[in-house]
Amino acid sequence: MRETPRQICLEEWDQRQATLARQGGGEPSYGGPLGRHVEREGNGRLRQLRFDNSTAALRLWNFLLTENQRLRAARAQGERLVGAMKDLGTVPVMAYALPRVRAFYPDGAWWTPCLMECTDRLLNQAEALGADATTCPVRAMLAAFQNGEHFPRPDLLVCSAGAICDDFSAIAQRLERLGSAVLWWEMPRRREPETGEASCALPGGLRAPADQVECVRDELRRVAIALGRLVATELTAERLRDGIQSANAVRRELQALRETVYAAAGAPLPALEMLIAEMLAVHFCSDRDESRVVLGGLVQEATRRVAARQSVVDETGIRVYWVNPVADLRAMNLLETCGGQLCGSDFMFTHALDLIPEDLPPLEALARTALADPMVGPVQDRARRIVQECRRYRVEAVVVSRIPGASHCAWEGAYLREHLAAELGVPAVEIEVPPVCDALLPALRTRLQAVLEIAQSRRRA
Amino acid sequence: MAGLDGAAIQSVVATGYGRNRVPFAATTITEITCHARGVHHLDPAARSIVEIGGQDSKAIRLDEHGRVRDFAMNDRCAAGTGRFLEMLASRLALDWSGLDELSQRSQRPAVMSNTCVVFAETEIIGLLAEGVAAADIAAGVQHSVATRVVAMAGRALDPPVVFTGGVALQPGMVRALEGVLGCPVRVPADPQFTGALGAAILAGGMA
Ligand code: SF4
Repeated sequence: MRETPRQICLEEWDQRQATLARQGGGEPSYGGPLGRHVEREGNGRLRQLRFDNSTAALRLWNFLLTENQRLRAARAQGERLVGAMKDLGTVPVMAYALPRVRAFYPDGAWWTPCLMECTDRLLNQAEALGADATTCPVRAMLAAFQNGEHFPRPDLLVCSAGAICDDFSAIAQRLERLGSAVLWWEMPRRREPETGEASCALPGGLRAPADQVECVRDELRRVAIALGRLVATELTAERLRDGIQSANAVRRELQALRETVYAAAGAPLPALEMLIAEMLAVHFCSDRDESRVVLGGLVQEATRRVAARQSVVDETGIRVYWVNPVADLRAMNLLETCGGQLCGSDFMFTHALDLIPEDLPPLEALARTALADPMVGPVQDRARRIVQECRRYRVEAVVVSRIPGASHCAWEGAYLREHLAAELGVPAVEIEVPPVCDALLPALRTRLQAVLEIAQSRRRA
Repeated sequence: MAGLDGAAIQSVVATGYGRNRVPFAATTITEITCHARGVHHLDPAARSIVEIGGQDSKAIRLDEHGRVRDFAMNDRCAAGTGRFLEMLASRLALDWSGLDELSQRSQRPAVMSNTCVVFAETEIIGLLAEGVAAADIAAGVQHSVATRVVAMAGRALDPPVVFTGGVALQPGMVRALEGVLGCPVRVPADPQFTGALGAAILAGGMA
């Protein structure tokens, strides 16, 4: 049963899913009505969202919302679980190169309160554990570790330190203090090579001093050894090469999805589903191969809609680039409500977008990927990449989203907004989206609608 | 209010915070675009708008065609809004217009260090206890609103600057804003209706 693209509420999805099931539309083992995630896991915030009505989107949501179950099942079958934190596109790639190991993102727990009805439960618990509202909502992770109600405790916890996020380091240090041992690895801040200094090319057209690449490679070697010990299997270069190829297969699907959606005249898929899709390539939602299948389904759906000239918004919608993820997913729905279409994004998952070089020794390739992450370099590099993408996808307006408490947002946001507006000559707006944005919705909507109106008047001029 | 009967209305544009709750509107347009349109109609030379209403405040930059180039908005806190004036007026046992009348008698506006309404209330009590004249406190409150709005605007506002919104009805606020900006500001007739005027003009273009 194919319907014209539309965003529908949870209730409508459940009715549609029931019809599909009666008609024998095959769903994966984790399929079913989305409403069950509200009933069983208390993800009441799903009731506030509007979802794409394709079966590919249903699969995406069910895949995302069953991750904890998947992890528990894996644990029950004796698989080893690795918590990867601030890995910059490296640790899950290494972990999935080994048999019977699954990596996941405990910091993905920061989405949990955003989906739950008692939204501030985890955040308040985190505060009681020593991470208050002056830090990023990722602090929800502390409470999730403590109460054990969400994901199982990992067998190994790996986190980078150094030139990554200060908030995260503080929270991860607190986590360690509360009894979860962390394997730390050092990440230097990327810098421009000096004249005459040996340097290496990084993904995304960047360069870094060879010394820095060597340092990260040695750090990752330590991580590789620890991962191998977990299952008494050496993480050989050959295994790692295969792992990189498989990770790249997922990344290629995501690249195809972004290209299909962002280059299209209308919006073949909504902004919310694009945000969730990008998250899959970061940590594979605890099943690398299934991530690829889920993304592949979205690519097919988007391609079909483009060919049929179908869109979730009017084809004349303003083409918007979105910077940073939002703490409340509801804010993503506002884009289409205001008449915009997502035509580019930097949700801070850039390290999972570029292909990992396959023609280099694998640890070296991973080191270069990590060093290319925008988070470890100057904001100017991030802005340059965004400008290129905005030009490529003919973007007409930019939204820079801020996460309250996330310290990098405070200093990066204003720079990005001003720089992108000046460089591209398009209107740009900064919005702050807290974990529950209900009360702020009218204000957020005014900001978004106003920036789209400015773009509209420029289009007419 | 405008004396029109329903049959004379060909198109309706809803604006402002309640714009999505007007079922008979043909479309909704933000107050930012509407204020810009209204101001451009009244004063085509205007390049910047400061709008201070009861709920929020905005700084809007315009191009030579009256189109919005950029905007900044305070919608998160009472400081820099009409609400701030109202709350602090009540601390001085005055109403909103009484605060303005009193401020005209100020010799030396008090310096208010807090832009947060809660702390500013405490500060007023302290100033009164120190014997600072109520007129100077009233002028200080207006100055604090002006400072807050100009700081929110970020970069300098290009002249001519037009001041709209209900708060522009207070001559003391106009003076305070001119003082902080360092340039004269223009106030249209009925500044509280500039957004509605813009909405009507935009609706006219759709009819
Ligand atoms: S502050 Fe930003 S980078 Fe750091 S954990 Fe939060 S969202 Fe991630």
